[in-house]
Amino acid sequence: MSALGVLLRKELHATFTSPIAYAVGTVFLLVTGYTFSLTLFLSKVANLTYIFHQMYVMLVLLVPGLTMRAFAEERRADTLELLLTAPVREVWIVLAKFLAALALIVSLLVLSGTYAVVLGLYGEPDWAPIYGGYLALVLLACLLIALGMLTSSLTENQVVAATTALGISLMLWFADAAAYLLPTPCDLIVLNLSLIGHFTPFVSGSLFLSDAGYYVTLSSLALFLTTRVLTAR
Amino acid sequence: MITIENVTKLYGQIPALRDITLDVERGEVLGLLGPNGSGKTTLLRLLTGYLSPTAGRLVVAGYDTVRQPMEARRQIGYVPEALPLYAHMRVCEFLAFMGRLRGLSPGTTVTAIARVSERVNLREVLTAPIRTLSRGYRQRVAIAQALVHSPDILILDEPTNGLDPRQIIETRHLIRNLAGACTVVLSSHILSEVERTADRVAILLQGQLLGVRTVADTPDLEALFLSLT
Repeated sequence: MSALGVLLRKELHATFTSPIAYAVGTVFLLVTGYTFSLTLFLSKVANLTYIFHQMYVMLVLLVPGLTMRAFAEERRADTLELLLTAPVREVWIVLAKFLAALALIVSLLVLSGTYAVVLGLYGEPDWAPIYGGYLALVLLACLLIALGMLTSSLTENQVVAATTALGISLMLWFADAAAYLLPTPCDLIVLNLSLIGHFTPFVSGSLFLSDAGYYVTLSSLALFLTTRVLTAR
Repeated sequence: MITIENVTKLYGQIPALRDITLDVERGEVLGLLGPNGSGKTTLLRLLTGYLSPTAGRLVVAGYDTVRQPMEARRQIGYVPEALPLYAHMRVCEFLAFMGRLRGLSPGTTVTAIARVSERVNLREVLTAPIRTLSRGYRQRVAIAQALVHSPDILILDEPTNGLDPRQIIETRHLIRNLAGACTVVLSSHILSEVERTADRVAILLQGQLLGVRTVADTPDLEALFLSLT
């Protein structure tokens, strides 16, 4: 097993035995499950659009709590020095933490897939928006985790890391609203930074490479910057 | 085994180390002696590759710590002063993690854990969670993780800090037993500690190397230290 594999195994163990992970998972599944049941019985329409938007909000709010420990805790406990003096590259440390957090979110999304199964059993849902919605949620999770890890790498205070990540995520969320106040071409640039603007098309079943590119690019940039923070010590 | 050539380290504009040149022979125990803030930890962190020098170069077992960091780090076992350990892990899990991280195979890791736990007397707590261990046992775990991959060089930052007298004596004996098989660089601000464990002593003050002496040839290290500082 490579060093990346060893690190990933350690991070998966730490993630899946953390009480924070179970708190995040419980809140996520309880709230979305409640909303799914309520909307299904009230509207009797076989789609998950409303649930996907709620999951979007839940991820924006919960992921910073999940990622705040990533590096802040390692710094506080001085274990980061142990990792950075072992023969492993900084990028492997970052990727291991990223993949472990992503594995947790994907597990939650897989569990929430029972909603789609219920719709499939008792109705005839349009599957394109459902596939698109789940793809969007995975891409959104990648970006939120990467942002959370970046802020966690900058401080040893977990609350500061979580609050900063939440602040950045909220600013990206509302970027489209701010764009209306800005002159051309700044408005276009800010509009294209919008988190929700690149999420909604997926949920309506429209897959655009530009939307996926937005998440992939910003996630890669945040992971790159996190690696740079670790390297520049 | 270790070559330090004209090494300077600046934190911003503040010099932590100034033009240090020093060699350490294979199997030797070198003690870095100096008051707090003299640059001992910075020098050790430069050797481990945790920090990069502002000027000069460090060669560890033939590998440049900046140009060949991975190769250099494989030769080193490092025990930082703060004893960083993953408290949620069991001792054996932690040692296995550190061994695998340094490239040991699963089979070799099992043998290596048995060997180091015997050497630092950890057998009775191998399955205990690290968070339940005393400071003395944590120190042993920290030393065991540094030895698990049989490094050529062992770097210890203030290894007897916070230990009770018995643990200090045990740690001292352990370091002396490692000498010969392993090149050891340790730091301390306690003169008697360095005197009892090291073959040579390098005296640092405000980032400058004031002198290097062989302990056996220096009957009154205290007087020398006072005269230099």
